[in-house]
Amino acid sequence: MINLHNISKIYSPDIKALQQINLHIKPGEFVSIVGQSGTGKTTLVKLLIGEEQPSQGKIIIGGWDITKISQKERPILRRQIGVVFQDFKLLYKKTLLENVAFALQVCGHAPKKIKSIAPQVMKIVGLENKMHRYPQQVSGGEQQRAVIARALVHCPKILLADEPTGNLDSINTDEIIELLQKINKFGTTVILVTHNREVVNKLRKRVITLENGMIINDQAVGKYLL
Amino acid sequence: MFLLSFFRVIKFSLQDISRNIWLSLVTIIIIILALVSINLLLVVKVISSTAIDAVKEKIDISLYLKSEAEESKILALKAKVSNLVQVEDVKYVPKQIALESFKQKHKDNPEILQALIELGKNPLSPSLVIKPKDVNQYDELIANLNKIDDDIIESRNFDDRKVVLEKINSITNKVSEVGMFISIIFVFITLLVVYNAIRVTIYTHRTEIGIMKLVGASNWFIRAPYLVSSLAYTLIGISATVVIFYLFLSLLQPYLEAFFIGYNFNIITYFNSHFLLIFGSEFLVATLINFFASLVAVNKYSKV
Repeated sequence: MINLHNISKIYSPDIKALQQINLHIKPGEFVSIVGQSGTGKTTLVKLLIGEEQPSQGKIIIGGWDITKISQKERPILRRQIGVVFQDFKLLYKKTLLENVAFALQVCGHAPKKIKSIAPQVMKIVGLENKMHRYPQQVSGGEQQRAVIARALVHCPKILLADEPTGNLDSINTDEIIELLQKINKFGTTVILVTHNREVVNKLRKRVITLENGMIINDQAVGKYLL
Repeated sequence: MFLLSFFRVIKFSLQDISRNIWLSLVTIIIIILALVSINLLLVVKVISSTAIDAVKEKIDISLYLKSEAEESKILALKAKVSNLVQVEDVKYVPKQIALESFKQKHKDNPEILQALIELGKNPLSPSLVIKPKDVNQYDELIANLNKIDDDIIESRNFDDRKVVLEKINSITNKVSEVGMFISIIFVFITLLVVYNAIRVTIYTHRTEIGIMKLVGASNWFIRAPYLVSSLAYTLIGISATVVIFYLFLSLLQPYLEAFFIGYNFNIITYFNSHFLLIFGSEFLVATLINFFASLVAVNKYSKV
């Protein structure tokens, strides 16, 4: 599904965000990428969604070499990878449902299709009763659910969650992790980038540990080591 | 799908304009100012060229002949002058007709008329009134007329109207130069304002643009609403300019009528008959300028 061959990202001779990363993630896997702040976790996410290009190496996603992805191809990649960020990135002048529908609108889907898909996805994430509320009228956990719903509308093969629980309390954190597990059970590959020790240890899934831009540990059923 | 995206682009663009209404208004006003200044320059050009034509029409050269000159000799001289390449037309004015037109010209001046009666005879000479083909050949024509040596010629009155013409030409050129300079400044300001308006709009929408990119919106879908906005600014600007300018022209026309009595000059008719050429080309050029400014702003600032 995802293959990274000798990936390095060097911003300047002093700033080496990632060095010699070799990684293979199988379809349907649930992988946690852990590490302290500044170890290159977010750079890795940026490389996977084509926001940045590696200085060295090759990235292949689903057989598609995205190492030197063009501006034209980038939207196609983004429709195949759902992304969830810590800061939600919701539009506060739109309701939760409208936020989800917006993702379909900007990709040119028909209104009929949007009307049918968006509420369904809201139901999957458990927001069917709050979908007409604005982001500021719901809790952080519910906002993050709406973000996950938005990431799911394109039925992506991969869901990338970069610190999705960073702004949430423990109850909401558990709910979001449960939701990610549920999505993973449907067959979506989930990559969870986090530094939440409890979450990682509770999951009992594959854990990749980064330190100073390098993979120092990759365990099939791992724990937070740092 | 393309049509659907196209309508969504229009919708997003209209949202951009209405959500940044003050910025949109300033942009449109600057466009109007630029277009009005260009059209004012055009009005000055039209009026001055009409004035020059009027002066040109009035330019003629009179060759005064001796009172006792025989008709046959006068007609022979007329034919000789008519043959000159620089001559458009030669009119023979007999002394009787000259007297009648003199009386007509001074009908309100009883002292002059009384003096004529007291004189008891026609003091005026017959003349040949020569109209040049081209005012620019005025000097050559005078030189050729000076070469004609005929004893029936009494005097040669070569009023140098060319100086007047040159002065008008020089004033017109100066006005055009100043107008052009002002127009260039306005075009430059328009370019900057539109560029800035789009830049500020993009800045205020950076979260939305970021989300669009995140969820896989194509690049053209992200950029197109801003380009459509620039097109809308131009369209509104040019429409408002047409309304404002026609109002101005209808106020100006009575003064021009009074100034160009007998010349059948109507500035509104001129603009009506050249409407597509004037406003169409202004729309095209303004659209290109705004589109270019927007494209630069979008390419530079939509990389959120």
